[in-house]
Amino acid sequence: MHEPESKKISRPILDIQGLKKYFPVTSGVFLRQTGNVHAVDDVSFSVFKGETLGIVGESGCGKTTLGRCIMGLYPLTQGRILLDGKPMSAMSRKMRKAFSTRAQMIFQDPFESLNPRQTVRQILEEKFRIHGVSQKKTITQIESLLDQVGLDPGDLTKYPHEFSGGQRQRIGIARAISMTPQIVICDEPVSALDVSVQSKILNLLLDLQCAMGLTYLFISHDLSVVRHMSDRIIVMYLGRIMEIADARNIYNHPGHPYTKALLEAVPVADPDHPSKRIPLKGEIPSAEHPPPGCRFSSRCPVAQSLCFEKAPTLSVCRHDPGHLTACHFPLSG
Amino acid sequence: MAVLNPVTKAQLRRFCSVKRGFWSLVIILILMFISFFAEVFINSRALVVYYQGAFYFPTYADMIPGKTFGLDYSYETNYRELKQKMDREGGTGFVVMPPVPYDPYENDLRLNEYPPFPPSFSHRHFLGTDNVGRDVLARLVYGFRTAILFSLGLLFLNYTVGISLGCAMGYFGGKFDLFFQRIIEIWSNIPFLYVIIIVSSIVVPSFMVLILIMAFFGWISITWVMRTMTYREKEREYILAVRSLGASHLRIIFRHIIPNTISVIVTYAPFAISGGIVALTSLDYLGFGLPAPTPSWGELLSQGWQNMEAWWISAAVVSALVVTLMTVTFIGEGIREAFDPRRHTVYE
Repeated sequence: MHEPESKKISRPILDIQGLKKYFPVTSGVFLRQTGNVHAVDDVSFSVFKGETLGIVGESGCGKTTLGRCIMGLYPLTQGRILLDGKPMSAMSRKMRKAFSTRAQMIFQDPFESLNPRQTVRQILEEKFRIHGVSQKKTITQIESLLDQVGLDPGDLTKYPHEFSGGQRQRIGIARAISMTPQIVICDEPVSALDVSVQSKILNLLLDLQCAMGLTYLFISHDLSVVRHMSDRIIVMYLGRIMEIADARNIYNHPGHPYTKALLEAVPVADPDHPSKRIPLKGEIPSAEHPPPGCRFSSRCPVAQSLCFEKAPTLSVCRHDPGHLTACHFPLSG
Repeated sequence: MAVLNPVTKAQLRRFCSVKRGFWSLVIILILMFISFFAEVFINSRALVVYYQGAFYFPTYADMIPGKTFGLDYSYETNYRELKQKMDREGGTGFVVMPPVPYDPYENDLRLNEYPPFPPSFSHRHFLGTDNVGRDVLARLVYGFRTAILFSLGLLFLNYTVGISLGCAMGYFGGKFDLFFQRIIEIWSNIPFLYVIIIVSSIVVPSFMVLILIMAFFGWISITWVMRTMTYREKEREYILAVRSLGASHLRIIFRHIIPNTISVIVTYAPFAISGGIVALTSLDYLGFGLPAPTPSWGELLSQGWQNMEAWWISAAVVSALVVTLMTVTFIGEGIREAFDPRRHTVYE
């Protein structure tokens, strides 16, 4: 699974360029716009074919919004998304519809993401219906889908409420991988599940990736899950990318103080473990009025005056071209 | 869909378990059945006439002139008199009359007596007559038919406008939603009663015109409800999921949003129906409703009010109103109970 070196040579399947998503804040009878929530603010990165790109961050940092923007569920405020080098914005409606067979999404809450009034069969058929696949082909495809995600053909006539959380998430996965997409955006696919079920679902995702050559964009707030799944990891904070690096690198040698703080906040199951964590001061600032300069400056333990004035750009850290950090004073060693 | 959704099934079961609502539904359905086939039960035309070796079924047939039965006139046969005549003469001919042998427009006038006549079994005026000699029971039943049809028609129109507009407002949101919100706020400030009074002083409102006027003001509340429900549903993840599958707006609205808001639509209906009945009755009472000879409860009510000594008129119409509104309300209550997502456990 973990062969990031060889993957990096392949061309990017998905290119995100300067993506911005602001949600307007309105007030008054005529909904006059009084401000913006900077949910995703100038984010650029590439996703390579066959890799798993993890996106981590605290809640409210814009991970989910980013995933939904890529999926086309939210209109972009600014920026471009290129699929195989072709910009999505230039696509016609028809091409956008075709895009939905190439990129799919697994949702966070399996209790919410399935229509409670449809049977499993109806839920899985939906996509084939939308894209005009014949009835006969649909049936055989659905049967093989069920087999792939480990559900029983007898489950087809059941309704979502008759399943456990893990099984429901399997239905969600089956829906996402139908018609063999290339990219699957996993939006916290296991965070609503029991810990005992989480690993089963994660392994299912890994197996499917192997079998179908899928590319994953794996969004999660759980660092250990992301570490288990990802080849490369993006750390986000308040709508901005703080750091991009190989999974191993980012865990062993974080370049950004925020990444370091995040890693040290992971509890260790050892009472004698010497705690040398850098406690973060205060709360996350509001995304409506983000701090000028570096987004993290208000809570950064090593911030200097420059950090409050000028926002750092993503730049190569420690001479490793695959390791980018948005920090004026990246950590060494 | 041949097999009912288990959610729907459970709701049906819960509705049937609410005894009051279930029996109210049975009663209302029986009443509706009787009123829709009222010609068979309450009619001045005979059910069956056997005359000179031939059967006649005048109930739903064309008018049969009196000459057919050997009477000396060519206008419609008076079957009550025909029956009396045949009974007097004996012989093979016979006439079977409905249980109430009067139609709602007919004035049953007698020599040396002035209506209203009190209830009498011998004259088959089970609830008496009104002050021009029309049978009260006949007018009640035919009036019920008018009122129910009126309410159903009104409900249909209100729902068509309300559901489509409310869904569109909630789904598309933005400027479209904002525009119609303000329109509705202005619209709901138009005084409804004055408009009806003005319109009915210009033209005598027919059944259809009256429904249209009422629907003109009635679509607002269901629109609000649908707008709110759609707003709530469309942000849920399963809608996002079908959107990311590439589903069209129409598909999302009709296959996903409306089926998931159906509980509101259904729960609202009985209350809308009783509202329609009350509205029609009060308009008729005030004299701005349907034109004069149409059997209607409002008109009966105002007669009862003017002739307090003829207690049977007001007693009949008031009890009919109470029974109907109560059963419809009980049905609504039962449905609301059945659709309530918060089920309470009761320890006994």
